Amino acid sequence: MYGGGNVFEATKFDDLQTEDPVKLAEFEARIARGEKIEPNDWMPQLYRKQLIRMIEQHAHSEIIGALPEGTWITRAPGFRRKMAQMAKVQDEVGHAQLLYSAAETLGKTREQMLTDLINGKSKYSNVFNYPAFTWADSNIISWLIDAGAIVNQMANAKGSYGPYSRALERICAEEAFHLKYGHDAVVHMATGTPKQREMIQAALNRWWPPIMTFFGPSDKMSTHTETLMRWKVKMASNDECRQQFLDMYVPKIWELGLTVPDPKLKKNMETGQWEYTEPDWDEFKRVINGDGPCNAERLAVRRTAEERGAWVRRALLNPKAKYVRPLA
Amino acid sequence: MNELAIKDLLYKLADDQLILGHRNSEWTGFGPILEEDIAFSSMAQDKIGHSLAFYTLLQELGEADPDTVAFTRNANQFHNSQLVELPNGEYDFSLIRHFLYDNAEIIRFEMLSQSGYEPIAKVATKLKGEVKYHVLHANTWIKNLGTSTEEAILRLQTSLNEAIPYALGMFELSQYEQQLIDAGVYAGEDAVKAEWFKRIQAVIEKTDLKLPDLNTIEPKLGGRYGEHTEHLQPLLDEMAEVFKIDPTAEW
Amino acid sequence: MSLTSLDPRVTRLNLPEEMPTIEPKPELDQFETYEAFHQKKEGAAHTYVGPVHAPNEDVAFLFAKEQYSRRFPCVGLWIVRTENVMVTPYSGDGENVYDMMRVEEPAERSAQAEAYEIFHLKKRGKAHTHAGRVMATSYQEALQEARTQFGDKGPIVNVWVVKSKHVLQSAEEDKDMWTTIPEKKYREAIAYKVMDKITKYKEEHKTTAP
Repeated sequence: MYGGGNVFEATKFDDLQTEDPVKLAEFEARIARGEKIEPNDWMPQLYRKQLIRMIEQHAHSEIIGALPEGTWITRAPGFRRKMAQMAKVQDEVGHAQLLYSAAETLGKTREQMLTDLINGKSKYSNVFNYPAFTWADSNIISWLIDAGAIVNQMANAKGSYGPYSRALERICAEEAFHLKYGHDAVVHMATGTPKQREMIQAALNRWWPPIMTFFGPSDKMSTHTETLMRWKVKMASNDECRQQFLDMYVPKIWELGLTVPDPKLKKNMETGQWEYTEPDWDEFKRVINGDGPCNAERLAVRRTAEERGAWVRRALLNPKAKYVRPLA
Repeated sequence: MNELAIKDLLYKLADDQLILGHRNSEWTGFGPILEEDIAFSSMAQDKIGHSLAFYTLLQELGEADPDTVAFTRNANQFHNSQLVELPNGEYDFSLIRHFLYDNAEIIRFEMLSQSGYEPIAKVATKLKGEVKYHVLHANTWIKNLGTSTEEAILRLQTSLNEAIPYALGMFELSQYEQQLIDAGVYAGEDAVKAEWFKRIQAVIEKTDLKLPDLNTIEPKLGGRYGEHTEHLQPLLDEMAEVFKIDPTAEW
Repeated sequence: MSLTSLDPRVTRLNLPEEMPTIEPKPELDQFETYEAFHQKKEGAAHTYVGPVHAPNEDVAFLFAKEQYSRRFPCVGLWIVRTENVMVTPYSGDGENVYDMMRVEEPAERSAQAEAYEIFHLKKRGKAHTHAGRVMATSYQEALQEARTQFGDKGPIVNVWVVKSKHVLQSAEEDKDMWTTIPEKKYREAIAYKVMDKITKYKEEHKTTAP
């Protein structure tokens, strides 16, 4: 589950002057033809760095994203929900595994990525720093956060890097279950008892502001961004993703008689664009930088899992083994 | 066929799997390595699925629906062995429990797939392949870790010693034991236990672990008759926390 | 003091409120990698699904089974240590890598010919699939053989060559481990249908978008 919003800040690797112009031209021509790049191909430094960063952040978002819904894994009501909630959270861990593998093909080891995550050096999707207070929060996450993630992931699946596209294809297929499951749970709550309805509205109220920041602030268009779009690393702008999400899901929220807690939210029929209250980007930045309600807990849990599992990994380590990057 | 005897058997099968599946699901997101996290979760889901299959048979025999049975009974109405309700502890304990439990479970499934009571035979036949993977998973881990570092071997040995008395509790005889055997439902707990001992011994022998002398150990009994450790009721309260907000609601 | 969480599982972990700084992970803390290939149905070619990290191939099998075949039909699984896969260069889409490649002289040959498994990638971004098995005394000879036997079947952008003895194959008698997968509907999108509930709600409330 990943919205992609906080990835494309400028980096220090923008300089294409140092790249071999012939190879760069071949590389760009391949992408322009609609061919995928595979791990052994020549690629510019900027492409490699940005992809590692993006796929790694996506992977972290999955493994951390398992925690808010994991909050309710032992309390899901009834067999149907209990089994599905387990499968849903499991999928997030599975997605992390797929994505770390894709990032590894570019040359960063999983050890390094996990170390960077638990030391707070790399980022993950900001929404997972918010708590899931009730079962209904978990339902809203399953439906709307996953819906947002699908918008982003479907776009990225058409990107130029082969291993990332392959991973995303599998991930999107599984997300289809998440989305339907989440929607099913929300519909049951919204059309259920008054208590259930109250729970789901309260959860929607809590989650709407983070959802609106899920795709990140409007992109600052720069040569950097243009290059990444030409290379099919960045496939859609943050605003495009947000608009697409609103288009697809606001009507589905409204048809359940639920209220979106933003009085300004409406579709401008002339422009075809949704208008909304600008999200609080100062809070967004504060939370990304560590000062959110659950940042400390999320990292502490991940770190503890790593530490308490270390004896298992130490025990089975084959000293003769040699690390080889996964192939594809 | 004595219906009470069949129900007693079904409750014990279903309750064991529900509680163990629930416990194992607590690991999701916290496992020692990503891939193992995924595998362990799958097995937890299978266990819950198995319990549902057996609760469904109970419903067909006139008991309440599976959700009501699973989410509204109190600890003293549960027939699971105490082994499955113990807290997860660290991964060594969870693995050892998984090993001890699933090696017994596969025998039950093998026997029940031949059962003279057809509804159980059908379910057991269908689900046996899943338990086969669970056993392969458990045995592979125990063989690997049980021959590895001193640290790992010590951890497993400590957990094994701790879990064994509870594991023996899995084979607590039912008040209907002889009737189930006579009716050809399955060969009974003593037979399961004898075969289980052979199988776990065969695995343990390939490791640096030592199986305690089972004859000198007092089994932790009572689970099959509703006597439980202090850990079961809080587990059930947690499991039903949302369900009990409104048990008549559709969640 | 330990951390109290909304997640009772986290509360039970007894996390300290202040975490000590953590050492970087040692090399291979996540183990080496293995590549997994699954077979969708009887007679179908094994197709690449992805890697797992594992300490050995038995554990890799346990891991790959749940990571790559817990959904969608599957009847078999192959596991190969990544290190044991020989990879050719990649050609462009629509080309045939066999035509562009100069196969080098092998550095070493086995005394006896042995079996090699050949995997083809037909298009960039897709997955390698098993093309067949050849007998050879080296990877290079296996590649030559593969070109002769399967090299003219349309575009092939990349080839993987693996000694058959390096492939852990699931056993025939283990197929029942996958038989119930199609029945696990609770993890499929198709199991969730709520249109009726929505329609009923709308009829009862006649909601209109604000």
